[in-house]
Amino acid sequence: MNWLREVARRLRMLVHRRQFDADLEEEMQLHLELRQQEHLESGMNADSARAAARRRFGNVTALREKSHIAWGWEWFENLVQDVGYGLRMLRKNPGFTSVSVLTLALGIGANTAIFSVINGVLLSPLPYKNPQQLVVRRGNDSPPNVRDIQRQARAFSEGGGINVQKMDYTGGTEPVQVRTGLVDAGFLETLGVQPMLGRIISPSEDMKGGPRLAVASYSFWQNFLGSDPHAVGKAIPLGGNTYTVIGVMPASFAPPAEHADVFVSMWAGDPGAAAERDVHFMHTYWRLQTGVALAQAQAEMAAIDRRLAEQYPAEEKERKTQLVPLHEWLVGDVRPALLVLFGAVGLVLLIACANFASLLMAREVARRQELVIRAALGAGRGRLIRKTLTESALLSVLGGVAGLLLAQWGTRMLLALRPEKLARLSGIHMDTRVLLFVLAVSVLTGVVFGMAPAWVAARGDVAEALNESGRSTTASAMGHRIRNILVTSELALALVLLVGAGLLIKGFSRLRSMNPGFNPANVMTMYLQLPATRYAEIPKQTQFRRELLARLNSLPGLQAAMVTDIPLGGNYVGHGFVIDGHPPVAVGGEPDVQTLSVMGDYFRVMQIPLRAGRDFTPLDREGQPLVAIVSEEVVREFFPHENPIGARIHWARETEPPQWMTVIGVVADVKHSGLDQPVDPAVYTPFPQSNEIWRSFMTLAIRTGAVSSGLVEEVKKQVWSLDSRIPVNDVHTMDELMAVSLAQQRFNMLLLGLFAALALVLAAVGIYGMMAYRVGQRMHEIGIHIALGAQRRDVLRLVLVDGAKLACFGIAIGIASAIALTRLMTSLLFEVKPTDPETFAVVVIVLAIVALAACYAPARRAMRVDPMVALRYE
Amino acid sequence: MHGYEIANSIQRISDDVLQVEEGSLYPALQRMLIKGWVTAKWGTTAGNRRARYYRLTAAGRRQLAVEMSQFERVIGAITRVIEAV
Repeated sequence: MNWLREVARRLRMLVHRRQFDADLEEEMQLHLELRQQEHLESGMNADSARAAARRRFGNVTALREKSHIAWGWEWFENLVQDVGYGLRMLRKNPGFTSVSVLTLALGIGANTAIFSVINGVLLSPLPYKNPQQLVVRRGNDSPPNVRDIQRQARAFSEGGGINVQKMDYTGGTEPVQVRTGLVDAGFLETLGVQPMLGRIISPSEDMKGGPRLAVASYSFWQNFLGSDPHAVGKAIPLGGNTYTVIGVMPASFAPPAEHADVFVSMWAGDPGAAAERDVHFMHTYWRLQTGVALAQAQAEMAAIDRRLAEQYPAEEKERKTQLVPLHEWLVGDVRPALLVLFGAVGLVLLIACANFASLLMAREVARRQELVIRAALGAGRGRLIRKTLTESALLSVLGGVAGLLLAQWGTRMLLALRPEKLARLSGIHMDTRVLLFVLAVSVLTGVVFGMAPAWVAARGDVAEALNESGRSTTASAMGHRIRNILVTSELALALVLLVGAGLLIKGFSRLRSMNPGFNPANVMTMYLQLPATRYAEIPKQTQFRRELLARLNSLPGLQAAMVTDIPLGGNYVGHGFVIDGHPPVAVGGEPDVQTLSVMGDYFRVMQIPLRAGRDFTPLDREGQPLVAIVSEEVVREFFPHENPIGARIHWARETEPPQWMTVIGVVADVKHSGLDQPVDPAVYTPFPQSNEIWRSFMTLAIRTGAVSSGLVEEVKKQVWSLDSRIPVNDVHTMDELMAVSLAQQRFNMLLLGLFAALALVLAAVGIYGMMAYRVGQRMHEIGIHIALGAQRRDVLRLVLVDGAKLACFGIAIGIASAIALTRLMTSLLFEVKPTDPETFAVVVIVLAIVALAACYAPARRAMRVDPMVALRYE
Repeated sequence: MHGYEIANSIQRISDDVLQVEEGSLYPALQRMLIKGWVTAKWGTTAGNRRARYYRLTAAGRRQLAVEMSQFERVIGAITRVIEAV
């Protein structure tokens, strides 16, 4: 308690220190006067009485300071003084101040922007209950299997799955498709987010013949339920049936990886699939029991896999469940890119700091006389260092504030550019952690990079420095060396960044020039799904398709066809298949190929070249011999030494006896899953020959002279003229789908490119500043050279060689570091080696040119030196 | 007592043996103020001048006792050493 009171007294003194000083002054004055009075009374004259009183009292100023210091606020007052002084200096040198602050703001701003993304994506916990306990199963599983695992596994406290299907919602004015999450009761329970209204589906309702219940997402509640606080209990028409809303999730809730507008019980939404052991379409999430390690759960899963395989040899022979922590699974893909970008902005900050330190040093040298005088007047070295550091810290904090503003803007730009993969993680914003990061970075920058200049400034012998009599040519060799190191490392760092950016640019251009296998120009696509209730028979589906294509193709200037899944559209259906005459394969072990149904002149519309055989014709229809067209990859993989035309294939585990299809043609490969993905073997069949009712969806592909919004409306009109309750969704041009596929690469390239450009500019400014300063320092020497008859050319060379030496050194170190560092970005590069010599060569040339150009201006100034002026120059 | 009076009384009580540099009284008083051993209050002198009057607090008295015993121990020790010589 005592020390608390003491602190209170000290604080009181700090607040009233003006008053305090005045009081002390008055007190001492009184003392002196009373003593003087006493002496006067004892008969001294006035002068000697005052002198005697002073002698007896001691050094008034020193005593006053001692009394003041006793309160322990000296450091604070020095700080206030230094800050005040620093601010005055910064105001007086607006050029220096703005260049330093801008340099730091760029470095700190770029770092903050990237850090806030990293903070949001990698560091913030997922918005679920105890998210560290959540794991996800790679790939999908079937509902019966999920139920078995839920019953058997001890390692999990909860678990559940989801499959998102598009269903048409006909409660509004226009039919729309909503993404419906078919879930079991465990799904929402496992994620552990409380509904905002009502409740979630309970286990007793999640069973065969259970009620049709729906839990709405917040956006569904807003858009379709009018944000009605009494929405619970409402009936909504979904997929041809009526569901009762029992709950609404909060706005902050979204499934980890799926987009779903509304959640319904799997048994209600798709009772057929819910009972099928071998329809693996549920994506499952599991919550580890407290204290259970992932490895333990994985081991238990393996045991369950074995049991299931024994029990259901036909369906579950090849089970291999792999569990991954949810967070890792979600951000695993973007982590390398973000870390590389974070490393890159770190380098940008280093360059900015080197520039900053270099600027400070140049200024300290210019201010050497002032410092020397201060030292001569008794300022301690510590105090001088502190003063200089205060100034650099002030600058860096200003830079930090400006950087924060830049980052605000930069983060917005990042969010606008972000690829789909980051789009879901909305937690990207400035929070305390980001602000602390900025504060730490700016203060550290100021102190660490202000240290060298401060130290150089404060060192040295006062007498010697005063003897320099103002001529600054012998500026500390130490400072000189440090600045050389700073400029060299700036160039080296810039080279590393440029190489990184160069590699990404090269990879990106490779990716862009990738042939997708079709011609994306002027193709419009849209997605339709026939409601299962009204189109339960295949002939009915076929009739709709045939009629729609006939109507669309009768419109002038367009050509329309349809396919189950459009390339780059994000959907993929694989199927095992069997080839007639090939050695038999064990059941369940059949090779997988992509299966696509098409109708209309699909290959012509997409301009996918036919390599062999013939295209489908309208005669390849129901009731006719079954036919198929395969991609070149199928031929490479499965018919390496035979002619595929005429071969017979059938889908694995289909109807007995097998329905054989004859291969009639070969088409070129298509990059279906992404431009940076390998091509998949694909088998195309005509829609009318399909016997699978689930293929009730289709994507229209329409090639026109020019894509216009009028076209989209026209197509919708045609669809609705056939059936007014079919929603038209996912309207995209093929070019848009291409762009989405390139987005992540584009994001990486743009950002790293931006950072590299920033680094190049900063490094150029750095070397320019250095050379300009050097030339200023050597004015005298250059003057002598010229006076002794040196040609302007010689002077130019003198300066350029000086700069070139630094540049070569920096480039050499940069190459070595780049070779060491670019390995870290291998995973981001598309078909480019991290040590691509071409990129290195181009970057070295660019950097050398920029460095020389930066030296050229100071060199020209040196060339123009008038020897008479230069010799007198100080 | 105010500063001048304190200085005078030290001198008087010690029969002029202790004649310190009077001014160093003030930093010492500040330190005692921080510790809470004395309090200060402004008042008026006989000559009708404003002066700061210092007063020993309870904590100050306790500290004095501590210092005294400490001091006596040291003095005692010194005396014994000197007498032994």
